[in-house]
Amino acid sequence: MSDLYDAVLNGDAKAAAEATRKALEGGAAALELVQREMVPAMDEVGRRFECEDYFVPELLLSARAMKAALALIRPLLTASGAQPAGRVVIGTVKGDLHDIGKNLVASLLEGGGFEVIDLGADVSPDRFVEAVRANAANLVCVSALLTVTMPGMKTVVQAMDAAGLRPRTKVMVGGAPVTQRFADEIGADGYGENAAVAVAIARKLMAAQAA
Amino acid sequence: MRLKLISCEVLYREMCAAVARSPHQVDLEFLPKGLHDLGGDAMRARLQEMADRVDPHSYDAILLGYALCGNGVAGLASRALPLVIPRAHDCIALLMGSRERYRVYFENNPGVYFRSTGWLERGENLDQSILGTVRDRTGACYTLGDLIARYGEDNGRYLFEQFSSYQRHYRQLTFIATGVEPDDRFERQALDEAARRGWRFESLRGDLRFFEKLVGGEWDENEFLVVPPGWRVKPTYDGGVIDKEPIP
Repeated sequence: MSDLYDAVLNGDAKAAAEATRKALEGGAAALELVQREMVPAMDEVGRRFECEDYFVPELLLSARAMKAALALIRPLLTASGAQPAGRVVIGTVKGDLHDIGKNLVASLLEGGGFEVIDLGADVSPDRFVEAVRANAANLVCVSALLTVTMPGMKTVVQAMDAAGLRPRTKVMVGGAPVTQRFADEIGADGYGENAAVAVAIARKLMAAQAA
Repeated sequence: MRLKLISCEVLYREMCAAVARSPHQVDLEFLPKGLHDLGGDAMRARLQEMADRVDPHSYDAILLGYALCGNGVAGLASRALPLVIPRAHDCIALLMGSRERYRVYFENNPGVYFRSTGWLERGENLDQSILGTVRDRTGACYTLGDLIARYGEDNGRYLFEQFSSYQRHYRQLTFIATGVEPDDRFERQALDEAARRGWRFESLRGDLRFFEKLVGGEWDENEFLVVPPGWRVKPTYDGGVIDKEPIP
């Protein structure tokens, strides 16, 4: 694998930008850099996280390196008319101000080729619905860190239903106290146990949508 | 009755004050505040281990000085003795003395950081945020100097910024006084912290009623869940917070 793969895996933002610049100057195609270097690198980061070789700091640093490379690649992708893997609206649920996990998932989704519309923290169901409409989003990702605010996720699902946006737009939920059982109970389409699995679940939901 | 109380050390002074006035004989055991940072499954496993160690012949019930605590009591099973747990999301509701009062306060005051005697004197770096989770689960140290030593100047500073970014969302520090404080030292400490962080400060009068009812054996259905042997705790995410379900 290349310098870019290594830089992302090692969480070295400067090296990632430098490797990307060199590769592009050498005639590499932007989309190929994403598909052949960055996505495999992030998959490996996710694998290392799963087996507790990497932890949250390493995830953050790899996501940062990936963003540094994406900053150079994205304008080229846009110019070439390449479509994102999907459009995602993301935010923490109303009343919940904890956003480290949400920020991490947003970065990882971006690195996974998704277009991410980040609504920030403390997002009302109406704002989620509006953003999904305005951006014709494929996915909504909602995060909660407190059991007090978790019921707000159900309200988001209900608001999406009421607005007639489902099942076309899928709802993914996550956050430390959130469980698969809760996700099933509120009728969410996807649940990520941690940030590292979010991209794989988002891809699966996109595939189900296409099928 | 003879009761065994297993409690988070954050509630140390409140529990001791309530136990002193209980008509029952209550044996106390406090667990580190750090359990909260381990995440739901690890916290439940530790509580289960402690509950299973209690001699069923010596007690009538096991009391838990916990709330749902980020799903830390979810799935906790009663084996030989009934488990009694206050119905609340976290210790802030317990300190305020009412779920409803906490709910209204939480809704009207987003971005509040809470302090009480236990939150001030028990353990270090008592952050009510994912930061604690990150630190304890990863073993990653997170003072700026530590992060730089471990991840280099540039990445260390970046991580520090990421880990402290949650503070941007907080605007107020609320100190909850339950009346067990010896003087105003804790309140002053909380006030100083608010000033240091540039946050508004409010001092709120809490209530010992949850503590007194728990150790006093007044476990009415509305405020306490009694889990009989063969059953376990299930989060409900509704007004009652938790319920019981049979162990499959």
